[in-house]
Amino acid sequence: MEFKGLVACRAGVGSSLMLKIKVNQVISEHKLPIKIEHGSLDSVAGFNGQFIITLSDVAKELEGKKLPQKIIGINNIMNKEEILTKLNVFLEEVK
Amino acid sequence: MNLTSEELVRLNIEAKDWEDAIRQSADALLQNGKIKASYIDAIIKTVKETGPYIVITKHVALPHARSEAGALESAIGIATLKEPVVFGNKENDPVKYLFCLSAKDSESHINALAELTGLLDRKDFYEFLDHAKDASEVIKYIKNL
Repeated sequence: MEFKGLVACRAGVGSSLMLKIKVNQVISEHKLPIKIEHGSLDSVAGFNGQFIITLSDVAKELEGKKLPQKIIGINNIMNKEEILTKLNVFLEEVK
Repeated sequence: MNLTSEELVRLNIEAKDWEDAIRQSADALLQNGKIKASYIDAIIKTVKETGPYIVITKHVALPHARSEAGALESAIGIATLKEPVVFGNKENDPVKYLFCLSAKDSESHINALAELTGLLDRKDFYEFLDHAKDASEVIKYIKNL
């Protein structure tokens, strides 16, 4: 099964784009069964995938909203280890 | 990085705190007609309200706001601080490098941002910035990669 994740940030033009680049690198390097979409926080409401991945302080805010998706917060966008570890935790949980 | 240019580079800024650092790094974009003053206020306001989400990796901030806040042309500024300042981001503080981003729409800056992401992956880029003497040297370095 393939999973769908949304990379989101407040503006949807900066940090989230960078995070999307890094997340996609991790997904292709490790052949993870995940497809990534991208948008601002406004797109969260209409998103029908399984998880949302964003910067950690935005993640904290989203966690308060009781969304159906799992929220993944990343501290350091450039740290592929951190991204991989957190994606793997998600994949383990949904297995 | 076709969205940056010598005029958008500010090296060794002396900033007294994070807000001052953002204002000074964004000033290069303001002076060159890339953003309105309201755009800078929007960045500061968002950081105050919701935390330092613009600090994206160790020692690096990407100050930016929504296009509607006053982005006139897509551009990326490059700024370094003489003394790093604390933004309140436990993981990545203190910040020494700021790349102020203006995105006029959601498309025109994507390639430049991808290139910047590549630069931020390079240790030698930071070392270079620490020792760069002037803006023309920085632009030359980026163009020659």
